[in-house]
Amino acid sequence: MRSSTEPTRAPDGWGDALRDAGHLVAFRARTVRRRGAAAAGAGAVLLLTILSAVGPADVDADGAVGDILDTLVDALSGNVGAALAGTLVLSVVSATSSGGGRELLSRGEASIHPLGPRTEHLGALALAPLNLAWLIQVWGLLAVVALVTPAEARLGAQAVVVAWVLAATALGQVVGWAVEGVRRTPHGVLVVRVAGISLALVAGALHLTGRLRPVVEGLPTTWVAGAMQDDRWPVAALGLVALAVLAVVVGGAPAAWALGLPPREELRVQSGVHEARPLPEPRWGSGDRALLRRLDRGSVWRSVGMRRGLIVLGMGPGLVALLAGLEWGTVLLLPGLAASGAALLFGVNAWCLDGKGMVWRETLPVSARDVFDVRALVVAECMAAVSGVTVVLALLRNGLPPLGTGVAVASCWLVVVVQVLAIVMTWSIRSPFGVDLSSPRATPAPHAAMAGYAGRLSLVTTLTAMLFTALAALPWAWAPAVAALPFLAWSTRRLLRARRRWIAGDERARVVLTVAAV
Amino acid sequence: MSQTPAVVVRDLHVRFGDVEAVSGVDLVAESGRATALLGRNGAGKSTTMKVLAGVVPPTSGTVTVAGHDAATDALGVKRAVGYCPDVGGLVPRATPWEHLQLSARLRRMGDWEERGRDLLERFELGDVAHRVVGGFSHGMSRRLSVVLAALHEPAVLLLDEPFDGVDPLGVEATLEVVADARARGACVLLSTHLRDLALEACGEAVVLRGGNRVAAMQAADLTGEAYRALLD
Repeated sequence: MRSSTEPTRAPDGWGDALRDAGHLVAFRARTVRRRGAAAAGAGAVLLLTILSAVGPADVDADGAVGDILDTLVDALSGNVGAALAGTLVLSVVSATSSGGGRELLSRGEASIHPLGPRTEHLGALALAPLNLAWLIQVWGLLAVVALVTPAEARLGAQAVVVAWVLAATALGQVVGWAVEGVRRTPHGVLVVRVAGISLALVAGALHLTGRLRPVVEGLPTTWVAGAMQDDRWPVAALGLVALAVLAVVVGGAPAAWALGLPPREELRVQSGVHEARPLPEPRWGSGDRALLRRLDRGSVWRSVGMRRGLIVLGMGPGLVALLAGLEWGTVLLLPGLAASGAALLFGVNAWCLDGKGMVWRETLPVSARDVFDVRALVVAECMAAVSGVTVVLALLRNGLPPLGTGVAVASCWLVVVVQVLAIVMTWSIRSPFGVDLSSPRATPAPHAAMAGYAGRLSLVTTLTAMLFTALAALPWAWAPAVAALPFLAWSTRRLLRARRRWIAGDERARVVLTVAAV
Repeated sequence: MSQTPAVVVRDLHVRFGDVEAVSGVDLVAESGRATALLGRNGAGKSTTMKVLAGVVPPTSGTVTVAGHDAATDALGVKRAVGYCPDVGGLVPRATPWEHLQLSARLRRMGDWEERGRDLLERFELGDVAHRVVGGFSHGMSRRLSVVLAALHEPAVLLLDEPFDGVDPLGVEATLEVVADARARGACVLLSTHLRDLALEACGEAVVLRGGNRVAAMQAADLTGEAYRALLD
């Protein structure tokens, strides 16, 4: 028996936390179902990262593609410091909106294990890159730096970028835990909302008064952007790595604080009262579908994570378009990315909205077609809403675009929404998962699958948007609308194929039993 | 002239990939009677129930529920059946009242609200009728699942582990629901591990083992020793 005079080891020291996080990562890795696909996905992410880091420097394009590249470089090359700051903002928003970052084990699974807050903190850090916005931002940053940096300084500059991404991610996590801690205090939700809106208003006011740019240029990121281009890059890189390590260690404190408090917002939602409403009597369509739609919409908007995610995805890219004054050519990229982000909240495993209630839903005497159509509509609504906010905010900033650009924006928006819908409804039936989305830190699929989904959706929608950007430059305003037709036909065909699979009884039973985890 | 049994299962097989969850079950259950489905974990009780509820299609064999073929008329089966699943069975961010509303609407029930309120009160869920079920305890969820199964007074009532984690008052209310269903001529199938409660609720008992039916008898004849022997 241990003597009371013997020194005791901290129950959740960094060594233990690192080991435990390693065990959890290994456990999750062992539960990956499609190892080949996971390896291919990891390889694709690595390849894209390398291509982003070295590829743009070697591009020598003419014509429309060259113009697009020139526009992108002009818009971003003088703003590397701002882009670095944007990475930090994104890390903060990502960690904050997901309640302190993603979890290696769901709350229910983790409750039986002696996992400390430092393990949770390290787990959230390890999972931060498995995020579409994070990956896009990193690829963008690497590409821009590759474009604007002379060949002899490129390696050092990219080393600084990597160090900055590590530091920004760790700093974002510190802020994420701190905000989550505040959110869990009495009136904390109100405090966080007021603070968030105030920050957005301050940024807006700075922009409108023309002081945003000087403020951004006064940030230390401007020094980092300069240092990475010359022989100061080793100092910058080492300093940033030290900052990252410091932030990782410091982040343990707010993580312990936040995780030691009750999750008030989730508890409030879980015990939320919603008075009875009369049966819907729609002007068109059946009442059955209207009631199913109401239930599905409730499942989305009564979830803390999904509600928060949809608001952030709707406002985030739109505010960037509004404040940064992005050109329409760049704005065209945003609806697809916003729609993909919305789909990643639950659409990639659309049936998980019902959780274990899926079995009960399946006993209801309603046609499988109606159930599929309503669920697809609700997924589409979410994607159209968040991407629509982005387009509307860009309209406010840029005013009405020329006819050709306007047709391209509308066509591209429609195409990417239908495209992503068809893809995610196919995935939802082909690879369903049983998950509990009660925590805002939960994801609708295992992390490896989420990373694959994020990569594929971003690739597809970005390539589509690039095509429409090129079409917008053509002299024929009808060209984007005509080009949209084959995309829409293909996606509709894919959606109908997914619907046919769902209607088949044995396929549906497989999905139902998997999602309900019975 | 004898009445057609409410549930007829002949040589039922259910396969999930390489796993045969049910391998050749035969079962007949009459209207106005309650039959207990007993057996160890993995015996095939819950899978059989899911087939009878129209959730899982049979891989082979014949399954008729209230005159509807489960393989070809799953929608007809769902209209005739009230089913309390063994696990969960509730949409996490909907309220009990919204569950009842949807079930009643899809079954074209006119005046369901009075019965809905009465059932919620009997199961002591009246004060949480408008709270989302995600915060419910396991026992509360089980009780609500029984309410949902019984709401539309189905011709066939399927209760899979309805006593699991339920307090004594909830057990009493469930036994009342079973008695009411029998009294109005419904067929009740009740799956449970609790032999004593099964005997209290049911007149007949069927024991499954390894996906097969190994015995069918009057519930009163299923003594503790006999049941133990059938499980091994």
